[in-house]
Order: sequence, then C-alpha cells, then structure tokens
Amino acid sequence: MSFRIISSLIQKGPIRILARTESTAAITPTIANSAQSDEPIDITNPFEKDRAQCILCRSNITPNYKNVKLLSQFQSPYTGRIYGRHITGLCKAKQEQVEKEIIKAQNCALMPTYHKSVEFLQDPKLFDPERPIRPHKY
Amino acid sequence: MPSYELALVLRQMARPELVSTLKRTAESILDKGGIIRKIENMGQQNLPYKISVHGQVHKVGNMFTIEFDSAPTQIDDLAEEYSRDIDIIRKNIFKVEQPPEIKCTLHEELLPPAYRKEVQEMVRIGQKKQKKKFNYNSGLDYYPFQK
Repeated sequence: MSFRIISSLIQKGPIRILARTESTAAITPTIANSAQSDEPIDITNPFEKDRAQCILCRSNITPNYKNVKLLSQFQSPYTGRIYGRHITGLCKAKQEQVEKEIIKAQNCALMPTYHKSVEFLQDPKLFDPERPIRPHKY
Repeated sequence: MPSYELALVLRQMARPELVSTLKRTAESILDKGGIIRKIENMGQQNLPYKISVHGQVHKVGNMFTIEFDSAPTQIDDLAEEYSRDIDIIRKNIFKVEQPPEIKCTLHEELLPPAYRKEVQEMVRIGQKKQKKKFNYNSGLDYYPFQK
C-alpha cells in the first residue's frame, strides 16, 4: 500500500534525512529544484498496524476433542454453553473447529454440557465475556 | 484404508472383565480386516452426566481410544456390533484427517463494517433486491403505470 506524503512537511524518520541530503547537494536550490522537493513521494504506509492474529493461530494450536482442558476454557461456567466469536476473539475457522471439537467431546462423555468441569473452574481466563469485541446480540 | 478413531466408554467393572471387553472390541476390528494402530487408556473417570443404556444408569466409566485403519464399508457394522455390547456405554467412530491449513482472518474480521467483505456482499444483495422506482424526470408528462 502506497502512502503519499508531501516531503517538505515531513519532520521525522528516514524522509527527513532524504530531504537534508538533497539540500546539501544543491546549496542554492533553483526554483525548479524546490518545486521537485515539494512533490509528493511514494512510500509504504508508516502507520500501518501489525496483522492481528487469534490466540490459537498465534501459538499454532489445532483443537482436539481429547484436549478437554483447553476446550473447557471456551465454555461458560454458568450454563456450559460455548462462547461466541465476539467473546472468544478467535478467527472464523478456529471458532468453527473449537465448536465442533467441544460437541464431539460432549458426545464422548468427556465434557459436561450444562456446566463447566469443576476441576477447570480456576483455569486462567482467555477473554472477558463482559467485554465482547463486538456488540452483544441480545 | 482410511484411518479412524474409536472413542469408547466402558462400564465400571473388575480388571479381568475390562481386559476381556477391550480384547473383544479390538478383535472385532481385526475380524473385519482392519489394522489397529494404537490403543490409549484414559483411565476410570466420573462421567460428566449420567448415562442410561441397556437398562442401567452409569455414573462412572472407563475411557479408551482405539486408532485403527479399516474399510469404510465396515464402519457401520462395527458401530452396530458395539451398540449391542452391554459393556460399552458409549462409542463414537471419527475419521482421522489431516487438519486443514488455516490462515488467520481475524485482521479482516476486525475491520470496520464498511471494509468487511461479507458486509459489502450483504449491501450488494440488499441493493439488488430493492424494487426499481419510477423516475419522474423521464420526459413523460404522465405516470405510465397503474396507481
């Protein structure tokens, strides 16, 4: 992505150095030269943010139905329901995988359906259900 | 032959009985021309919910997983055979597949709605569904349709 900036207005970063070298090369800049230095230049966007990654993609984890400790972190301790994507902060594909594996584990009688296993209640929280990343459906 | 994984829950019983039950379930795979790759014992556990099968209510079970290769035509027969076994509380046969390569799309999902692809698609469908309105500046001095 290119980002057009008028070089004379730039005061920090590598562009400033570029402007200085130009001025040293031509001590008495002609009218044509000054016009050139005013021209917008093509650079990549210096304000672009890093790509956001979900917690499972970042650590390269594929959820499995036998990994009940991990899966129960995506389950509500009050109702046993699986938290939605707006709460878990997972990407679409990973959320789908997690939901699938939780249902598999519940069918294999490895995981409860109406509550969270008592031994996992003290596990660290991956997200806060009170502060969803997108507005709540209800 | 594709790979499968059998998740077993056996009822609570003495060790010799448990061994014979496990042997029986494993042998039925071999009888149908399958190959057993791995047998895993996850131990005796309290079931997360009570299960009633074969006229009994179970609250404790022995968890096992068996990884095996078998012809896909034999899977239904295996499941049917296990469902008749009164020592088996629950059985699930899953196909083992290589997990698909996933590229994280969270960055695109967190963009404001106007920049999200699915929202743009939704807007386009909505615009398509809108009824065409008669344009009054068409040069006609009367309304051409029924009112």
